[in-house]
Amino acid sequence: MNLIHLAGIAGLAVVTGLGAAQATTLDEVKSNGYIRGASANEVPYSYMDESGTAKGIGPEVATAVLKSMGVEEIQWTVTPFGSLIPGLKAKRYDFVAAEMNILPDRCKQVTFTEPNSSYGEGLLVPTGNPKKLHSYEDIKKDPALKVAIVSGADQIDFLHDLGVPDSQIVLIQANADALSTIQTGRADAYAATELTVSQLVKSGGTGVEQAEPFSDPVIKGKPARSYGGFDFRTDDKDLYDAFNKALVTFKATEDYKKILISNGLSPESVEAARTKKMEELCAAK
Amino acid sequence: MIYGFAWDTSSAAAFAWSILPILGIGLIVTLEATAAGFVIAMLLGLVLALLRRSRLRAIAWPTAAAIEFIRDTPLLVQLFFLYYVLPVYGITLPAFVTGAIALGVQYSAYTSEVYRAGLDAVPKGQWEAAVALNLSRVRTYTTIIVPQAIPRVLPALGNYLVSMLKETPVLSVVTVVDMVSLANMIGDRTFEYLVPLSLVGLIFLILTLLCSAGIHLLERALPKSGIALQ
Amino acid sequence: MHWTHYLLPLLKGAELTAIIGLASTALGAVLAFAAGIARVEGGRLLSWLALIYIEVFRGTSLLVQLFWLYYALPLIGISFDPVTTGIAGLALNIGAYGAEVVRGALEAVAPQQREAARALNFGWSHTLLRICLPQAIVEMMPSFGNLAVQNLKDTSLVSLISISDLTFRAQSLRNVTQDSVTIYTMTLIGYFAMALVMMAAMRWLEIAVRRGPAFPRSAHG
Repeated sequence: MNLIHLAGIAGLAVVTGLGAAQATTLDEVKSNGYIRGASANEVPYSYMDESGTAKGIGPEVATAVLKSMGVEEIQWTVTPFGSLIPGLKAKRYDFVAAEMNILPDRCKQVTFTEPNSSYGEGLLVPTGNPKKLHSYEDIKKDPALKVAIVSGADQIDFLHDLGVPDSQIVLIQANADALSTIQTGRADAYAATELTVSQLVKSGGTGVEQAEPFSDPVIKGKPARSYGGFDFRTDDKDLYDAFNKALVTFKATEDYKKILISNGLSPESVEAARTKKMEELCAAK
Repeated sequence: MIYGFAWDTSSAAAFAWSILPILGIGLIVTLEATAAGFVIAMLLGLVLALLRRSRLRAIAWPTAAAIEFIRDTPLLVQLFFLYYVLPVYGITLPAFVTGAIALGVQYSAYTSEVYRAGLDAVPKGQWEAAVALNLSRVRTYTTIIVPQAIPRVLPALGNYLVSMLKETPVLSVVTVVDMVSLANMIGDRTFEYLVPLSLVGLIFLILTLLCSAGIHLLERALPKSGIALQ
Repeated sequence: MHWTHYLLPLLKGAELTAIIGLASTALGAVLAFAAGIARVEGGRLLSWLALIYIEVFRGTSLLVQLFWLYYALPLIGISFDPVTTGIAGLALNIGAYGAEVVRGALEAVAPQQREAARALNFGWSHTLLRICLPQAIVEMMPSFGNLAVQNLKDTSLVSLISISDLTFRAQSLRNVTQDSVTIYTMTLIGYFAMALVMMAAMRWLEIAVRRGPAFPRSAHG
């Protein structure tokens, strides 16, 4: 009987202890000395290089912004793209630096900062583009074609809006699986952002190329353009406000432009990221 | 929307009801993978068991080592191995086939042991009588030994079938669209994982209970002495 | 890249695998005994609760259980770090299987033993701890050995909830180098080695338990 009593008490203690957790504030983070960030390992938006350092648009900007806020250390977690938001809500980390596209559905779950980057879409195809795919719409032309996307990525919404059926969509776990998926012919194309695709090709992928020319998917009359931002828990107002303010300040600097350009963004994309407003993106229909 | 079925997140019950058809499609894949994997496991296991019983050390020993290696390494890693390594040598199989083979290979290590135990349990006297009657090895196996081994072997095989069913979600990691894969997809899009995953767990529970009951019935129905194969 | 470059990251992963494996096996053993004993000795309520625990965790898929603990539970406010979640999930699962082993072994203890204990006025817990368990444990050990190895293999699934175990490290390395053959071969060998060690340890435990208090040796000690 005693053992069972002990177990019950221990269980209760654990559950109540967790329920008592409150919002993370900037002061808490500063006193801890570090903040916890999440990355989905997608070059060039956020990834770990061979030495385990976080690189890419998200981490590099975040490091600079947090430094200006007085937070020197970031502890990174790499997690599948689809679990970035659930993990944030479950307090496994304090912010997401994966340059997630700011979408109305996502805005309902988390709070996004002002846009940090802007990017279009792309397709990774086998060398020579045998199926002649130059846009997401082209996938529809043959029901036997298969397009791969990362689970949880917004490309699925683009494809659905264009009317591509689920039977033609293959979901992979991570961006890194895309190369072998195309090389082995398990999918005819990989749909991701233009930078992701160009990076895969640059990373020495053999037998693949970026589909050129490529036209962005036209969704609801406009070519789709994505804006990536940092995600924060909606409850963490204090932390979010501090970060967002510091981010807006940083975006006006030359260092910001340098980070984005060095990771492959065009000057036009940098300007787009500087001018677009988060409220606009979250309110879009 | 997945496969044309939209979901209704107004209430937990409505959500659960609306995603049942989607999970149902995944269930079919789960069952197909289990069936395919089990057939492979049964056949490959028999081959391994017979090789293991070979009187030639050069065959029996490596077979035993291979069986041990397969038994003691995780299904997930074996699956990754088959999925990523085979294409390097030019063999690219569809994800489902790769998954079924992985299940089959892993479980063949278990079924070979079941066969071995079943065959070993047949009394030595049976073998001796068969020799006395001048029956060939093949006839001995098919008419005397195997029929007596079946009642002992079937329940154990049945248990492994149920185990395999519960391990099929691993295939979702290599793009096989089974129940768990769909539940995660629904969760990724609605950010509501509780209902889909709980529902999948419930479906597995029901399947397991049904299968176990089925195995019990089978056990009861089998004559203790064995089924003649003629 | 040469295989020696993979050794260090894989070993770091193996270390975490070993820790998670040992912790979950130990915790699983506790759960197994708790639930198994509850099934045999507990009153109606306890026996039922134990039955529900056993059937739910044996009847559903381990991966589903892990995903549920990792993704679904936080939605109702209960969230642990990944490693704790992984250990908990593995322990709950293997504990349910272990509970059946415990139950079977306890029930296999000859009824005469209990009758004799009652005749000697031994209390409930005394009977359990001094008479039944010592005899039952010997019976349980071989199955426990199998379950321990099974649990070690199951730890590979925690790589799917972002834990940097051996399988996760292998995946990460492969993502960067695309060198599937070397990496996965090394990973399989790594698990095999750990399994062999685990089996040897369980065998040693089996023998140690057999020399324990319960087994009647000759009447002259």
